[in-house]
Amino acid sequence: MEKISRFLLVFIAILTLAIILPKLYWMAFEKPVRKPFILYSCINDDFMIHRISEKTWEDTKGNQFTREEYEKKLPLMFEKQLITSGSWPDSIIGMALDMRTISKAKSFFRLKASEIDAPFPELYPLFESQSGRTKIDLPDDFFRITWRIDFIEAATNKVLEEKSQLFSAALYQNGFSFPAKKISGLATPRKSIDEGYLIIDSKDQLFHLKMIKGFPYVKEIDVPDGLKFRHISCVDFKNKDFYAYLFSDKNEIYILTQDDYKLIKWPVDGFDASNCDLKIFGDLFNYTVIIEAEDHIKAIALSPDYQVVNTYTENWKLKEDQTEGKIFASLFPAQLSMTSDNSKFIRFYFTPSKGLNWIFLNLLLMAFHFIWLYRRKVKFKNHVPDLGIVAVSGIFGFIAIHFFQNKFFG
Amino acid sequence: MWKSVVYKEWLKIRWFLIGYTLLGILGIGYLFLTVKHGFAFSGGKNIWNSVLFMGHQFFSPLKYVPLVGGLTIAIAQYFPETVNKRIKLTFHLPMGENKILLMMHTFGAVSLLLSFLIFFGLFAVFSLIFFPVQMVTDSVISIFPWFLAGFSAYFLVALIVLEPAWKFRLFYSLVGGFFLTIYFTSAVTSAYGSANTGLFLVTAFLSIALLFSAHRFRKGEM
Amino acid sequence: MNNVIECNNLTHYYGRKLVYENLNFHVSEGSILGLLGKNGTGKTTTINILNGFLQPRNGECLIFGENTQHLSPQTKARIGFLIEGHIQYSFMNIRQIEKFYSGFYPNWKPAPFWELMSKLNVTPTQKISTMSCGQRSQVALGLILAQDPDLLILDDFSMGLDPGYRRLFIDYLREYAKAENKTIFTTSHIIQDMERLIDDMLILDFNGVLAQTSVNEFMGSFKRFDFVLENDKADLKKASFVVNLDKVKNKIELYTYSSESIVKKYLDDNNITVSNFAQVKMGLEDAFIGLTGKY
Repeated sequence: MEKISRFLLVFIAILTLAIILPKLYWMAFEKPVRKPFILYSCINDDFMIHRISEKTWEDTKGNQFTREEYEKKLPLMFEKQLITSGSWPDSIIGMALDMRTISKAKSFFRLKASEIDAPFPELYPLFESQSGRTKIDLPDDFFRITWRIDFIEAATNKVLEEKSQLFSAALYQNGFSFPAKKISGLATPRKSIDEGYLIIDSKDQLFHLKMIKGFPYVKEIDVPDGLKFRHISCVDFKNKDFYAYLFSDKNEIYILTQDDYKLIKWPVDGFDASNCDLKIFGDLFNYTVIIEAEDHIKAIALSPDYQVVNTYTENWKLKEDQTEGKIFASLFPAQLSMTSDNSKFIRFYFTPSKGLNWIFLNLLLMAFHFIWLYRRKVKFKNHVPDLGIVAVSGIFGFIAIHFFQNKFFG
Repeated sequence: MWKSVVYKEWLKIRWFLIGYTLLGILGIGYLFLTVKHGFAFSGGKNIWNSVLFMGHQFFSPLKYVPLVGGLTIAIAQYFPETVNKRIKLTFHLPMGENKILLMMHTFGAVSLLLSFLIFFGLFAVFSLIFFPVQMVTDSVISIFPWFLAGFSAYFLVALIVLEPAWKFRLFYSLVGGFFLTIYFTSAVTSAYGSANTGLFLVTAFLSIALLFSAHRFRKGEM
Repeated sequence: MNNVIECNNLTHYYGRKLVYENLNFHVSEGSILGLLGKNGTGKTTTINILNGFLQPRNGECLIFGENTQHLSPQTKARIGFLIEGHIQYSFMNIRQIEKFYSGFYPNWKPAPFWELMSKLNVTPTQKISTMSCGQRSQVALGLILAQDPDLLILDDFSMGLDPGYRRLFIDYLREYAKAENKTIFTTSHIIQDMERLIDDMLILDFNGVLAQTSVNEFMGSFKRFDFVLENDKADLKKASFVVNLDKVKNKIELYTYSSESIVKKYLDDNNITVSNFAQVKMGLEDAFIGLTGKY
């Protein structure tokens, strides 16, 4: 029993050290990766790269620009700055443009991997879409979709039976299969207009649910066979071209057009929702999709009809491949962490070190331990499991077995 | 014999346990008083909205309550045993040394569990007055690791207090202190959902940790 | 007679420092044995090994035939143990502590406990921590008596007690042990106390046993002779019968197991002239110091 308790303590110590030591190591030695800021210039038909820490502005061919030159190449991004400094051009690629047109076409979207792999609420407010008022009010009740849709009044925490039945029936009649797998929408009153929720039911069918003058609006959306969505981000862009960006389980990016409910797949590859962050800049002439992975950045410029017009990729060394990472991999066999950059869930994230360089330190520590045992003239036989622990877990195990010593066993 | 064991442990911890439980109940009462106040002044829908979408964790004042309980009960129970190495008296009783230790430990852990169950029950009952079951479930997932931390603290303090050598007490405290942080990683509500089973297991692993330091004591480590 | 305690070839070190090597002794049933020795000779080590709180580097101790490292509950029930300083659960009062211990021992006899308690000026609800050292010693003793063990191990029972309580403790204990044929293994700093209590003694010195014998036998054979040397350069240390010699200028205190005639013959044979030759009567404490030296 005492022996088991010791092994369990050694295990706990290894677990703790495998979290703490690598964390401290990276706190001390990690160098920040300075990702370039990339935009697409409709004037140059090239990507413009701003390196923030170096304070340089360049294109993909290496031509250097001043900040002012850079901004002039991106008039749709820096229109306010250009007007303020009096350098607003008369026309852009042959078109005279007014502010309203530019501003209406502008959109910005951002999604992090950790926003997809995250816990989601199970209750949402269903706003009135046609209240006739300019300001959207937070409703008094929130809905959940279990075996039906329930509306629960917050002040009393009671189900509103009539409303629940009305909406449940509407969903049911439109072929909704309860419960919901995923509910996506802009659950905030701070938006220009309410477009309700896009809901995936238990059979992976996609529905649009709104409340119009107190009554349900339900629309089933045609989804090609086999297409399943991993995540849906509803948007509230001024041009009202589409309801949402949708991300399939095969890492494809779709948009859902407004009113006619067409799913359009963007010709974008290289995106992995489990570990990439995504930025999409939209303007009058282009959509620029920026995919930020751990070791590279990829920029894709799309035409207004969503065709690829240009791409650019820049790679850098993973932190594992830098000197600090190599030293790390020869010190620690693995890293354990309770958190991840790519998720909001707490888990035991286990990352084995790249390569097998840590074996040398493990062998060295085994030798140390062997000498330590030899000098104490102990029975070697009783310490074989400890040496095994050091062999596998290296410095973590070495510290663990010396904190929780095998002194009176065997 | 177990009656005598329970009797002694009860004498040691009773006031601490009762005091802690009462304070905890008052704390939970106060917590839901603030929730009720929020409902009255900000409106239920705004409270719900901030809990659901703005990361408001109305239960966060409970964060260290179970930890304090684990530390309190463990110190109340094991500190008197180490003053003047009084634990020798326990080992001398006509029972197996591990058996009697585990009896004492079980009693302490069960006392703590009862106290926690009261808190948990009150929390659930009060929460269900104000929030639907889905929101209560998410909150419970978030507070669960804090209660596990209470048990871990209890088990670790027993290990540390019974350890005869100061140097190793320091080592155990270091490991134990860092270990406890894994229950308290700040995170969005219900983020611990996928870690709770693992945490439950490692907490269970610690439950017999005191046998290790007690064994070292009995073998004459100084 | 049966041996209640039997220690064979005990060897122990603290780190690299040797406490003793191959220590052997035994305690037979019904005897009261005192373990004597100066500080650092391993008294506490021995007590700890006997109680299973220390694993010796080598060798073993048996109590009632069981290795003290793994005593069965049945055997532990037969051993009464008084911790140095009369340590007890001081957060209890005497009623609680009696209730607590009675649950463990099927042969629990509350009468002697309450008899002792009635002599103390304490209330049944008074916490032990608020009692004087002497009162605490009586509580600890009372509990052991109520346990009615066959063997009593008392670690430094006189520590912190005033003379009255010491006397009370000893007299009560001896009377009890002799009446009930109990075996006692004890240590004490105060050797005068031991004299009233013990039958046999085991004297430890650095690295081993100096003597294991009955007190009467020891006191009968161990002698002290005082005399004054005419020539203070005379060397007596070579004499084989000298156990210990204390020399201040030309005044000599000589300790020996040999008779007066042998000492005198040696002095004559070696032409050492002395005056004021006399045998000095010793108590156990004098004899102990004579045997082990002052340092």
